[in-house]
Amino acid sequence: MANARALDKRRKSIRNIRKITRTMELIATARYKKAMDRAAAVTAYTDRLSQIVNSLADSGTEVRHPLLEQRENPQAGRLLTLSSNRGLCGGYNASVLRTAVPHIEQMKSDVTNLSVDVSGKRGINGLKFRGIEPNDTYQQFEDQPAYDEVEKIASKYLELYVTGQMDRLDVIYTKFISTSRQEVTVETLLPFGSLDDGSSETAEATNTQYEFQPSAESILEEVVPTSFKAKLFKCFLDSAVSEQVARMIAMKGATESAGDMIKQLSMTYNRARQSQITGEIMEIIGGVEALEG
Amino acid sequence: MTLRCVVVTPERTELDREAEYVSLPMFDGELGVLSGRAPLIGRLGFGTLRLQTAAGPERYYVDGGFAHIEGDVINILTGRSIPIDLIDRDKAHEDLDAALAMSGGTPEEAQIRDTAVLRARGQLRASS
Repeated sequence: MANARALDKRRKSIRNIRKITRTMELIATARYKKAMDRAAAVTAYTDRLSQIVNSLADSGTEVRHPLLEQRENPQAGRLLTLSSNRGLCGGYNASVLRTAVPHIEQMKSDVTNLSVDVSGKRGINGLKFRGIEPNDTYQQFEDQPAYDEVEKIASKYLELYVTGQMDRLDVIYTKFISTSRQEVTVETLLPFGSLDDGSSETAEATNTQYEFQPSAESILEEVVPTSFKAKLFKCFLDSAVSEQVARMIAMKGATESAGDMIKQLSMTYNRARQSQITGEIMEIIGGVEALEG
Repeated sequence: MTLRCVVVTPERTELDREAEYVSLPMFDGELGVLSGRAPLIGRLGFGTLRLQTAAGPERYYVDGGFAHIEGDVINILTGRSIPIDLIDRDKAHEDLDAALAMSGGTPEEAQIRDTAVLRARGQLRASS
Protein backbone atom coordinates (compact mmCIF):
# COMPACT_ATOMS: atom_id res chain seq x y z
CA MET A 1 0.00 0.00 0.00
CA ALA A 2 1.29 3.43 -0.96
CA ASN A 3 2.47 5.92 1.57
CA ALA A 4 -0.53 7.91 2.87
CA ARG A 5 1.43 11.14 3.06
CA ALA A 6 2.62 10.90 -0.54
CA LEU A 7 -0.94 10.25 -1.67
CA ASP A 8 -2.21 13.27 0.19
CA LYS A 9 0.48 15.46 -1.39
CA ARG A 10 -0.45 14.26 -4.84
CA ARG A 11 -4.13 14.91 -4.17
CA LYS A 12 -3.33 18.47 -3.14
CA SER A 13 -1.36 19.16 -6.30
CA ILE A 14 -4.16 17.79 -8.47
CA ARG A 15 -6.57 20.03 -6.63
CA ASN A 16 -4.41 23.01 -7.54
CA ILE A 17 -4.28 21.96 -11.16
CA ARG A 18 -8.04 21.62 -11.16
CA LYS A 19 -8.33 25.18 -9.94
CA ILE A 20 -6.20 26.36 -12.84
CA THR A 21 -8.05 24.38 -15.49
CA ARG A 22 -11.39 25.55 -14.16
CA THR A 23 -10.27 29.17 -14.34
CA MET A 24 -9.00 28.64 -17.86
CA GLU A 25 -12.33 27.14 -18.81
CA LEU A 26 -14.16 30.19 -17.49
CA ILE A 27 -11.81 32.56 -19.31
CA ALA A 28 -12.21 30.63 -22.55
CA THR A 29 -15.99 30.77 -22.18
CA ALA A 30 -15.95 34.54 -21.76
CA ARG A 31 -13.58 35.00 -24.70
CA TYR A 32 -15.63 32.66 -26.84
CA LYS A 33 -18.74 34.77 -26.26
CA LYS A 34 -16.87 37.94 -27.22
CA ALA A 35 -15.42 36.32 -30.31
CA MET A 36 -18.89 35.12 -31.30
CA ASP A 37 -20.23 38.67 -31.11
CA ARG A 38 -17.51 39.84 -33.46
CA ALA A 39 -18.28 37.03 -35.87
CA ALA A 40 -21.90 38.20 -35.85
CA ALA A 41 -20.78 41.75 -36.66
CA VAL A 42 -18.85 40.63 -39.72
CA THR A 43 -21.93 38.73 -40.88
CA ALA A 44 -23.86 42.01 -40.85
CA TYR A 45 -21.16 43.47 -43.08
CA THR A 46 -20.99 40.57 -45.54
CA ASP A 47 -24.79 40.38 -45.77
CA ARG A 48 -24.95 43.98 -46.89
CA LEU A 49 -22.09 43.38 -49.28
CA SER A 50 -23.82 40.44 -50.91
CA GLN A 51 -26.93 42.58 -51.18
CA ILE A 52 -24.92 45.03 -53.28
CA VAL A 53 -23.54 42.17 -55.38
CA ASN A 54 -27.05 40.85 -55.97
CA SER A 55 -28.28 44.28 -57.01
CA LEU A 56 -25.37 44.51 -59.43
CA ALA A 57 -26.18 41.12 -60.89
CA ASP A 58 -29.86 42.04 -61.15
CA SER A 59 -29.02 45.18 -63.06
CA GLY A 60 -27.45 43.03 -65.77
CA THR A 61 -23.83 43.92 -65.10
CA GLU A 62 -21.47 41.29 -66.36
CA VAL A 63 -19.55 40.02 -63.36
CA ARG A 64 -15.98 40.01 -64.57
CA HIS A 65 -12.90 40.88 -62.63
CA PRO A 66 -9.23 39.90 -62.82
CA LEU A 67 -9.46 38.40 -59.34
CA LEU A 68 -12.28 36.09 -60.39
CA GLU A 69 -10.48 34.57 -63.36
CA GLN A 70 -8.74 31.23 -63.09
CA ARG A 71 -5.13 31.49 -64.16
CA GLU A 72 -3.80 28.91 -66.52
CA ASN A 73 -0.68 27.13 -65.45
CA PRO A 74 -0.19 28.66 -61.98
CA GLN A 75 3.48 29.07 -61.09
CA ALA A 76 3.67 30.60 -57.65
CA GLY A 77 1.33 29.45 -54.89
CA ARG A 78 0.92 30.58 -51.34
CA LEU A 79 -0.62 28.88 -48.39
CA LEU A 80 -1.76 30.61 -45.23
CA THR A 81 -2.21 28.40 -42.20
CA LEU A 82 -4.10 29.75 -39.21
CA SER A 83 -3.26 28.26 -35.84
CA SER A 84 -3.14 29.58 -32.31
CA ASN A 85 -0.41 31.23 -30.27
CA ARG A 86 -1.17 29.27 -27.13
CA GLY A 87 -1.56 25.60 -26.39
CA LEU A 88 -3.87 23.78 -24.00
CA CYS A 89 -6.70 23.76 -26.50
CA GLY A 90 -7.09 20.05 -27.18
CA GLY A 91 -6.56 18.87 -30.72
CA TYR A 92 -7.03 22.30 -32.28
CA ASN A 93 -3.51 22.90 -33.56
CA ALA A 94 -2.81 19.23 -34.19
CA SER A 95 -5.75 18.91 -36.56
CA VAL A 96 -4.74 22.08 -38.44
CA LEU A 97 -1.24 20.68 -38.90
CA ARG A 98 -2.57 17.27 -39.84
CA THR A 99 -4.45 18.86 -42.73
CA ALA A 100 -1.70 21.34 -43.60
CA VAL A 101 1.18 18.92 -44.15
CA PRO A 102 -0.45 16.72 -46.84
CA HIS A 103 -1.92 19.83 -48.46
CA ILE A 104 1.52 21.41 -48.70
CA GLU A 105 2.82 18.26 -50.38
CA GLN A 106 -0.07 18.33 -52.82
CA MET A 107 0.38 22.02 -53.60
CA LYS A 108 4.09 21.49 -54.16
CA SER A 109 3.22 19.10 -56.96
CA ASP A 110 0.70 21.58 -58.44
CA VAL A 111 2.83 24.72 -58.44
CA THR A 112 6.55 25.08 -58.89
CA ASN A 113 7.07 27.78 -56.33
CA LEU A 114 5.24 27.45 -53.03
CA SER A 115 5.62 29.65 -49.99
CA VAL A 116 3.90 28.90 -46.71
CA ASP A 117 2.71 31.63 -44.36
CA VAL A 118 1.69 30.77 -40.82
CA SER A 119 -0.18 32.64 -38.16
CA GLY A 120 0.24 31.42 -34.59
CA LYS A 121 3.27 30.22 -32.63
CA ARG A 122 2.00 26.67 -32.43
CA GLY A 123 1.67 26.37 -36.19
CA ILE A 124 5.08 27.95 -36.79
CA ASN A 125 6.81 25.53 -34.43
CA GLY A 126 4.76 22.57 -35.62
CA LEU A 127 5.67 23.13 -39.25
CA LYS A 128 9.32 23.80 -38.45
CA PHE A 129 9.41 20.50 -36.59
CA ARG A 130 8.05 18.79 -39.69
CA GLY A 131 10.78 20.34 -41.81
CA ILE A 132 8.72 23.06 -43.46
CA GLU A 133 10.22 26.51 -43.17
CA PRO A 134 7.49 29.18 -43.07
CA ASN A 135 7.93 32.26 -45.24
CA ASP A 136 5.97 34.90 -43.37
CA THR A 137 4.84 34.42 -39.80
CA TYR A 138 2.28 36.32 -37.79
CA GLN A 139 1.96 36.19 -34.03
CA GLN A 140 -0.16 39.24 -33.34
CA PHE A 141 -3.53 37.51 -33.61
CA GLU A 142 -5.09 36.50 -30.33
CA ASP A 143 -8.74 35.95 -29.51
CA GLN A 144 -9.85 39.19 -31.17
CA PRO A 145 -8.12 39.66 -34.51
CA ALA A 146 -8.21 43.32 -35.57
CA TYR A 147 -9.52 44.14 -39.03
CA ASP A 148 -6.69 46.62 -39.62
CA GLU A 149 -4.11 43.88 -39.14
CA VAL A 150 -5.95 41.42 -41.34
CA GLU A 151 -6.47 44.06 -43.99
CA LYS A 152 -2.74 44.66 -44.21
CA ILE A 153 -2.19 40.98 -44.92
CA ALA A 154 -5.09 40.91 -47.38
CA SER A 155 -3.75 43.96 -49.23
CA LYS A 156 -0.34 42.38 -49.43
CA TYR A 157 -1.81 39.25 -51.01
CA LEU A 158 -3.90 41.28 -53.42
CA GLU A 159 -0.81 43.22 -54.42
CA LEU A 160 1.17 40.04 -55.00
CA TYR A 161 -1.66 38.54 -56.98
CA VAL A 162 -2.35 41.56 -59.15
CA THR A 163 1.31 42.10 -59.96
CA GLY A 164 1.62 38.45 -60.96
CA GLN A 165 4.00 37.36 -58.19
CA MET A 166 1.43 34.90 -56.94
CA ASP A 167 -1.10 32.85 -58.87
CA ARG A 168 -2.96 31.07 -56.12
CA LEU A 169 -3.71 31.54 -52.44
CA ASP A 170 -5.04 28.80 -50.20
CA VAL A 171 -6.05 29.25 -46.59
CA ILE A 172 -6.23 26.48 -44.01
CA TYR A 173 -8.33 27.41 -41.02
CA THR A 174 -10.75 25.91 -38.54
CA LYS A 175 -14.26 26.65 -39.62
CA PHE A 176 -16.74 27.20 -36.85
CA ILE A 177 -19.95 25.30 -37.59
CA SER A 178 -21.45 25.00 -34.13
CA THR A 179 -20.25 24.86 -30.54
CA SER A 180 -19.88 21.12 -30.85
CA ARG A 181 -18.44 21.07 -34.35
CA GLN A 182 -15.45 22.83 -35.86
CA GLU A 183 -13.83 21.58 -39.02
CA VAL A 184 -10.45 22.25 -40.50
CA THR A 185 -11.12 23.65 -43.96
CA VAL A 186 -8.94 24.36 -46.96
CA GLU A 187 -10.20 27.19 -49.11
CA THR A 188 -8.81 28.74 -52.25
CA LEU A 189 -9.30 32.47 -51.80
CA LEU A 190 -7.41 33.66 -54.86
CA PRO A 191 -8.53 33.35 -57.60
CA PHE A 192 -11.70 34.31 -55.83
CA GLY A 193 -14.22 31.56 -56.55
CA SER A 194 -17.51 33.39 -56.55
CA LEU A 195 -18.86 36.53 -55.00
CA ASP A 196 -21.81 35.06 -53.17
CA ASP A 197 -20.96 32.75 -50.31
CA GLY A 198 -24.01 30.55 -50.62
CA SER A 199 -26.19 32.94 -48.67
CA SER A 200 -27.67 34.51 -51.80
CA GLU A 201 -30.63 32.13 -51.71
CA THR A 202 -31.82 33.70 -48.50
CA ALA A 203 -31.60 37.23 -49.85
CA GLU A 204 -35.02 38.31 -50.93
CA ALA A 205 -35.35 39.61 -54.44
CA THR A 206 -36.06 43.31 -54.42
CA ASN A 207 -37.37 45.10 -57.44
CA THR A 208 -35.72 48.38 -56.58
CA GLN A 209 -34.05 50.13 -59.45
CA TYR A 210 -30.75 51.44 -58.20
CA GLU A 211 -28.70 54.24 -59.53
CA PHE A 212 -25.03 53.28 -59.67
CA GLN A 213 -22.45 55.90 -58.85
CA PRO A 214 -20.13 56.39 -60.68
CA SER A 215 -20.92 53.19 -62.65
CA ALA A 216 -21.75 49.56 -62.03
CA GLU A 217 -18.34 48.54 -63.40
CA SER A 218 -16.52 50.82 -61.00
CA ILE A 219 -18.46 49.40 -58.07
CA LEU A 220 -17.72 45.87 -59.18
CA GLU A 221 -14.04 46.73 -59.39
CA GLU A 222 -14.16 47.60 -55.68
CA VAL A 223 -16.60 44.94 -54.51
CA VAL A 224 -14.35 42.00 -55.38
CA PRO A 225 -11.29 43.06 -53.31
CA THR A 226 -13.57 44.11 -50.47
CA SER A 227 -15.27 40.72 -50.48
CA PHE A 228 -11.87 39.06 -50.44
CA LYS A 229 -10.81 41.10 -47.43
CA ALA A 230 -14.04 40.37 -45.61
CA LYS A 231 -13.67 36.68 -46.35
CA LEU A 232 -10.09 36.54 -45.10
CA PHE A 233 -11.17 38.41 -41.98
CA LYS A 234 -13.93 35.88 -41.46
CA CYS A 235 -11.36 33.08 -41.68
CA PHE A 236 -9.36 34.72 -38.89
CA LEU A 237 -12.47 35.22 -36.77
CA ASP A 238 -13.62 31.64 -37.29
CA SER A 239 -10.21 30.41 -36.23
CA ALA A 240 -10.31 32.56 -33.11
CA VAL A 241 -13.79 31.34 -32.15
CA SER A 242 -12.85 27.72 -32.80
CA GLU A 243 -9.72 28.07 -30.69
CA GLN A 244 -11.70 29.34 -27.73
CA VAL A 245 -14.30 26.59 -28.12
CA ALA A 246 -11.56 23.97 -28.33
CA ARG A 247 -9.89 25.36 -25.21
CA MET A 248 -13.19 25.53 -23.37
CA ILE A 249 -13.95 21.88 -24.11
CA ALA A 250 -10.41 20.72 -23.38
CA MET A 251 -10.35 22.52 -20.05
CA LYS A 252 -13.78 21.24 -19.13
CA GLY A 253 -12.53 17.71 -19.76
CA ALA A 254 -9.39 18.39 -17.74
CA THR A 255 -11.39 19.74 -14.80
CA GLU A 256 -13.66 16.71 -14.83
CA SER A 257 -10.75 14.28 -15.06
CA ALA A 258 -9.04 16.03 -12.18
CA GLY A 259 -12.22 15.58 -10.12
CA ASP A 260 -12.31 11.87 -10.93
CA MET A 261 -8.66 11.50 -10.10
CA ILE A 262 -9.12 13.24 -6.74
CA LYS A 263 -11.95 10.83 -5.94
CA GLN A 264 -9.80 7.83 -6.78
CA LEU A 265 -6.86 9.16 -4.80
CA SER A 266 -9.06 9.97 -1.80
CA MET A 267 -10.26 6.41 -1.77
CA THR A 268 -6.74 4.99 -1.94
CA TYR A 269 -5.57 7.49 0.64
CA ASN A 270 -8.34 6.54 3.09
CA ARG A 271 -7.59 2.88 2.60
CA ALA A 272 -3.89 3.48 3.18
CA ARG A 273 -4.61 5.48 6.31
CA GLN A 274 -6.98 2.78 7.60
CA SER A 275 -4.46 0.02 7.11
CA GLN A 276 -1.80 2.12 8.76
CA ILE A 277 -4.04 2.57 11.83
CA THR A 278 -4.92 -1.10 11.85
CA GLY A 279 -1.23 -1.93 11.71
CA GLU A 280 -0.50 0.38 14.62
CA ILE A 281 -3.30 -1.10 16.77
CA MET A 282 -2.03 -4.58 16.02
CA GLU A 283 1.41 -3.52 17.17
CA ILE A 284 0.03 -2.06 20.42
CA ILE A 285 -2.04 -5.17 21.13
CA GLY A 286 0.99 -7.30 20.41
CA GLY A 287 3.05 -5.20 22.80
CA VAL A 288 0.44 -5.41 25.57
CA GLU A 289 0.13 -9.14 25.19
CA ALA A 290 3.89 -9.51 25.38
CA LEU A 291 3.98 -7.51 28.64
CA GLU A 292 1.17 -9.57 30.19
CA GLY A 293 2.75 -12.82 29.16
CA MET B 1 -38.56 63.41 -42.15
CA THR B 2 -35.07 62.44 -41.15
CA LEU B 3 -32.52 60.13 -42.63
CA ARG B 4 -30.99 57.21 -40.82
CA CYS B 5 -27.29 56.76 -41.37
CA VAL B 6 -25.68 53.43 -40.50
CA VAL B 7 -21.94 52.93 -40.80
CA VAL B 8 -20.85 49.31 -40.74
CA THR B 9 -17.28 48.05 -40.61
CA PRO B 10 -16.31 44.37 -40.51
CA GLU B 11 -15.65 44.71 -36.79
CA ARG B 12 -18.85 46.36 -35.66
CA THR B 13 -21.57 48.88 -36.41
CA GLU B 14 -19.69 52.12 -35.88
CA LEU B 15 -22.56 54.52 -36.13
CA ASP B 16 -26.35 54.46 -36.25
CA ARG B 17 -27.65 57.99 -36.22
CA GLU B 18 -30.59 60.04 -37.33
CA ALA B 19 -29.61 62.98 -39.51
CA GLU B 20 -31.27 65.69 -41.54
CA TYR B 21 -28.59 65.86 -44.15
CA VAL B 22 -25.71 63.56 -45.03
CA SER B 23 -22.79 64.30 -47.30
CA LEU B 24 -21.04 61.24 -48.68
CA PRO B 25 -17.42 61.23 -49.90
CA MET B 26 -18.00 59.45 -53.20
CA PHE B 27 -15.27 58.08 -55.43
CA ASP B 28 -15.55 61.06 -57.76
CA GLY B 29 -16.68 63.85 -55.46
CA GLU B 30 -19.10 64.63 -52.68
CA LEU B 31 -22.74 63.67 -52.80
CA GLY B 32 -25.33 65.32 -50.62
CA VAL B 33 -28.30 63.25 -49.51
CA LEU B 34 -31.59 64.53 -48.21
CA SER B 35 -34.67 62.61 -47.23
CA GLY B 36 -36.52 61.05 -50.14
CA ARG B 37 -33.55 60.35 -52.36
CA ALA B 38 -33.86 57.74 -55.10
CA PRO B 39 -32.24 54.35 -54.35
CA LEU B 40 -28.51 54.39 -55.00
CA ILE B 41 -25.50 52.17 -54.75
CA GLY B 42 -22.27 54.07 -54.85
CA ARG B 43 -18.58 53.61 -54.48
CA LEU B 44 -16.97 55.71 -51.77
CA GLY B 45 -13.58 57.30 -51.94
CA PHE B 46 -11.28 58.27 -49.08
CA GLY B 47 -12.80 61.33 -47.52
CA THR B 48 -15.04 62.92 -44.97
CA LEU B 49 -18.54 61.80 -44.18
CA ARG B 50 -20.54 64.73 -42.87
CA LEU B 51 -23.79 64.46 -40.96
CA GLN B 52 -26.13 67.25 -40.03
CA THR B 53 -27.91 65.97 -36.96
CA ALA B 54 -30.29 67.60 -34.53
CA ALA B 55 -27.40 67.81 -32.06
CA GLY B 56 -25.09 69.53 -34.55
CA PRO B 57 -22.68 68.54 -37.29
CA GLU B 58 -20.56 65.41 -37.09
CA ARG B 59 -17.62 64.45 -39.25
CA TYR B 60 -15.95 61.11 -39.84
CA TYR B 61 -13.19 59.92 -42.09
CA VAL B 62 -14.16 56.85 -44.12
CA ASP B 63 -11.71 54.58 -45.84
CA GLY B 64 -13.40 53.75 -49.14
CA GLY B 65 -16.19 51.21 -49.40
CA PHE B 66 -19.79 51.50 -50.52
CA ALA B 67 -22.93 53.45 -49.84
CA HIS B 68 -26.32 51.86 -50.22
CA ILE B 69 -29.30 54.15 -50.07
CA GLU B 70 -32.82 52.83 -50.02
CA GLY B 71 -35.80 54.59 -48.56
CA ASP B 72 -34.48 56.94 -45.95
CA VAL B 73 -31.75 54.59 -44.80
CA ILE B 74 -28.13 55.07 -45.79
CA ASN B 75 -25.96 52.03 -45.25
CA ILE B 76 -22.26 52.73 -45.45
CA LEU B 77 -19.89 49.79 -45.72
CA THR B 78 -16.32 50.74 -45.09
CA GLY B 79 -13.12 49.20 -43.81
CA ARG B 80 -12.50 51.94 -41.29
CA SER B 81 -14.30 54.97 -39.98
CA ILE B 82 -12.64 57.43 -37.61
CA PRO B 83 -14.03 60.60 -36.05
CA ILE B 84 -11.88 63.31 -37.62
CA ASP B 85 -10.51 64.53 -34.30
CA LEU B 86 -8.79 61.19 -33.87
CA ILE B 87 -6.90 61.17 -37.16
CA ASP B 88 -3.15 61.02 -36.71
CA ARG B 89 -1.85 63.76 -39.01
CA ASP B 90 1.81 62.88 -38.62
CA LYS B 91 1.08 59.31 -39.53
CA ALA B 92 -0.88 60.46 -42.58
CA HIS B 93 2.04 62.66 -43.66
CA GLU B 94 4.40 59.70 -43.33
CA ASP B 95 2.00 57.50 -45.27
CA LEU B 96 1.79 60.07 -48.04
CA ASP B 97 5.57 60.27 -48.33
CA ALA B 98 5.81 56.48 -48.36
CA ALA B 99 3.07 56.24 -50.97
CA LEU B 100 4.72 58.82 -53.22
CA ALA B 101 8.00 56.92 -53.00
CA MET B 102 6.41 53.68 -54.24
CA SER B 103 7.38 52.48 -57.69
CA GLY B 104 4.81 52.73 -60.45
CA GLY B 105 6.55 50.83 -63.22
CA THR B 106 3.62 48.71 -64.36
CA PRO B 107 -0.05 49.73 -64.59
CA GLU B 108 -0.87 47.47 -61.63
CA GLU B 109 1.84 48.98 -59.45
CA ALA B 110 0.80 52.46 -60.48
CA GLN B 111 -2.75 51.69 -59.42
CA ILE B 112 -1.65 50.41 -56.02
CA ARG B 113 0.44 53.55 -55.56
CA ASP B 114 -2.41 55.83 -56.58
CA THR B 115 -4.74 54.19 -54.07
CA ALA B 116 -2.20 54.66 -51.29
CA VAL B 117 -1.71 58.32 -52.27
CA LEU B 118 -5.46 58.93 -52.37
CA ARG B 119 -5.90 57.35 -48.95
CA ALA B 120 -3.18 59.45 -47.33
CA ARG B 121 -4.40 62.65 -48.99
CA GLY B 122 -7.98 61.88 -47.97
CA GLN B 123 -6.90 61.58 -44.34
CA LEU B 124 -4.93 64.80 -44.47
CA ARG B 125 -7.79 66.67 -46.06
CA ALA B 126 -10.30 65.28 -43.57
CA SER B 127 -8.18 66.28 -40.59
CA SER B 128 -7.43 69.81 -41.75
